[in-house]
Amino acid sequence: MPAAAQIRVMVVDDQMTMRSLVRTGLQQLGFSDIVEAPDGEEALRQILSRPVHLVISDFNMPRLDGMGLLRALRSHGPTAKTAFIMLTGRADKELVQKAVQLGVNNYLVKPFTVQTLKDKIEAVFGKLT
Amino acid sequence: MIPDAHRSESSGAKRIHVVQGEYAVSEDPNVMLGTILGSCVAACVRDPVAGVGGMNHFLLPGDQEAAPRGGGHQALRYGVQSMELLLNALYRMGARRERLEAKLFGGARVIDGLSDVGQQNAAFAERFLKAEGIALMGGSLRGEQARRVQFWPVSGRVRQMALVDPGRQVFEAERAKPVPAPATDDGELELF
Repeated sequence: MPAAAQIRVMVVDDQMTMRSLVRTGLQQLGFSDIVEAPDGEEALRQILSRPVHLVISDFNMPRLDGMGLLRALRSHGPTAKTAFIMLTGRADKELVQKAVQLGVNNYLVKPFTVQTLKDKIEAVFGKLT
Repeated sequence: MIPDAHRSESSGAKRIHVVQGEYAVSEDPNVMLGTILGSCVAACVRDPVAGVGGMNHFLLPGDQEAAPRGGGHQALRYGVQSMELLLNALYRMGARRERLEAKLFGGARVIDGLSDVGQQNAAFAERFLKAEGIALMGGSLRGEQARRVQFWPVSGRVRQMALVDPGRQVFEAERAKPVPAPATDDGELELF
């Protein structure tokens, strides 16, 4: 069982308020190694500089959106297997299906509970300790 | 636009009524977005360069209602979601965050002795705009009266009218609307 504290997470959302909510939820679940980026471009820059185990990313963002970030990570050898959870709204089903084709590991429909966040992460990593 | 927005047209002007929990956006100078607010807050946001604007209408669940689902922090998610839906719709129409101008309305105090939900809504909206770097250009928050607000999203013009006699009914209707449940799962999409 992986320890949450040992999983490095990148939270990507152009809204600081949403990043803050996700960070707070992760901290409640025991995560402590959390980094943030306001768009896919900045996230990619940081990840290439220092890899993460998990990316939780919004879809709608300026510059490079969530799909672009996912595509970039999957096409780059060292980051190709980085776990990726997409944040999405209820109306984004087509996007989710497209993200699945690109290799997304899971997705979270907003607004979500901390329990749902935990369930989605555990679906990717297994039971957290 | 959104399915729950109620539209009507007369003499070339188009009116869209934005109900609680919904939002509407437009780039049509003849469109007027309207709503009625008690404790709820409406954010009227526009990009004057792109010529687009929109309005949302939200009510954070009070602490008592939200407690079973995680308390006040959980309640904030509804406000964040409402703002995000509105902003994303504006971005899709060409708006840019750095050009956005917002006016906030509503957040009136409802009933003495109960938790001041209006204040929580108003404070959340102000905090959100500040955190996101969106210019707050004015509006009318708090107070004790329900309001009718009309917003022309292209010009940015806003008109507000205080509702004295029917105000109590507005507050009661807001409270009667069930608190939306958070998405506990994807529901209809089972892909994993």
